Amino acid sequence: MKTVDILTLSAETNTVTLTLETGLYPIEVVYGAAYVFIDRAWVLLDRKPNEGAGIASRLLVHLTGKRKLDEAALAAFAGEFSNECLAQALRRKVTKANQKIVEEIVTQAIAGAAGASLPQDFLDEDASDSMDFLDDPLGIAVPWEDKFKKKAPAKDGGEAK
Amino acid sequence: MSAIAVTLRFHRTLYMLQAVREAARIYGEFAKFQISTDGDYYVANVSDPDPEVDGDIAREFANQALVGSIARRRHKAA
Repeated sequence: MKTVDILTLSAETNTVTLTLETGLYPIEVVYGAAYVFIDRAWVLLDRKPNEGAGIASRLLVHLTGKRKLDEAALAAFAGEFSNECLAQALRRKVTKANQKIVEEIVTQAIAGAAGASLPQDFLDEDASDSMDFLDDPLGIAVPWEDKFKKKAPAKDGGEAK
Repeated sequence: MSAIAVTLRFHRTLYMLQAVREAARIYGEFAKFQISTDGDYYVANVSDPDPEVDGDIAREFANQALVGSIARRRHKAA
């Protein structure tokens, strides 16, 4: 099944009209592609009149080049637009798939930043912490050599390595 | 296209009225715009284009209406 059709193509009016299936290309996707083309073309969106009731299932995209284009260039223009629709659809899918992860990362980043700068953490002068800044209960300031050096044998007085 | 009056039809499910009106306000300096509703469409009549303007006012207006509609929809969805 063809999903992108060139409905009309006229080098005289410098316009190509495509039809897109809305089931495959949601309106957000077509908006995204139209936005990309807005500097090169005049874009007009429409819906294809439906025989039955309800919203038409196909969109019409009228692209008129801002520069003069021949038929081959207009056909390429239409192809580029449909490619852009695919790229936008994929981008949308990836964004949706990663939305939770992105939200989680942003939440953690904001929480971390806010937690680090809470002023009351620094103003708590009544804290029962009696430690001096030189105290080192975890032994962080002890040099590695002191912490892990072999103890010298007690009797022979040999040198510790 | 700008030399004579032009009628543009914007489908109501694809364009937002505020965006069409905003575009008319932006380009109102260069032409006369009349916005009305006709069934499923917003209809914009563009007339009296400024002869000194080198460009297609009606089509630029349509592009602006589309960009405005996209921006407003995205803002609404966010």
